[in-house]
Amino acid sequence: MEDGRAASQPGSGSTEPGGGEQISLHNFCGRLSEQLVHFHAMRLRDSLFLWIGEAPQLSSLAVAMCTPRDSIPASTSLLGDASDSTSNCLAQRLASKTKKQIFVSYNIKNTDSSFILLVENRIKEEMTAFPEKF
Amino acid sequence: MAAKPVLASKQTEEVVQGVPTEVVCTAFANTLLVVVTQYGKMGTLVSVEPDVVADGISKPLFTTKVLLGKDEPLVHICAKHLVTSVSQEAGNKPVLLSMALKDRSIEGIQTLREVIQRCRVW
Repeated sequence: MEDGRAASQPGSGSTEPGGGEQISLHNFCGRLSEQLVHFHAMRLRDSLFLWIGEAPQLSSLAVAMCTPRDSIPASTSLLGDASDSTSNCLAQRLASKTKKQIFVSYNIKNTDSSFILLVENRIKEEMTAFPEKF
Repeated sequence: MAAKPVLASKQTEEVVQGVPTEVVCTAFANTLLVVVTQYGKMGTLVSVEPDVVADGISKPLFTTKVLLGKDEPLVHICAKHLVTSVSQEAGNKPVLLSMALKDRSIEGIQTLREVIQRCRVW
């Protein structure tokens, strides 16, 4: 099964969810102001799950998506401390960039806006380098 | 920047009761993320957490909470069916389940459980 997937022929599209676009997983990392930050992206159909962390913890989750009425994407916190809006903000910014539904889980103690900007830039850099993964 | 990934994940796909299905499991230190989708999307997000019990006295009960999507009884039932065993095998870890199912028959759910087992990262 696993092997057949890599070499999916054009004719096999009908048996795949979403008519050919499978979930893709992509791990990358970056050293941002002396700190090693890990990223895990899961691309689904018209949506993206992005985890950002220094250790393999998942303790916050937010979702954002564009709306026709407002230039700022709608977002909500799904998991974790609702007063910490870092996952929320990041999800909003990525949603307005990609126009997709974005799930973000930000799990780093450092929530300075300058640091988050570095994180965001690292994500955008990776999006430019591997657009098919996002 | 070549640090190895800190997260283990496995994915598979299979036609379940005639419906193409994708499963992705990712292990975090404090939780497991299980994605079961027949639409290619995240769908309904359910948190499945074992209740705290004293060691070895009994198996824990599970609390399910819909974080995103339609909060209806069948969602809670499907969620418990799909990932209770996953949580127990992982040493009573909480599971975050994302499911987008076209077929919620009991036969379908049974098969999906087997497919999830093939993506064992716990």
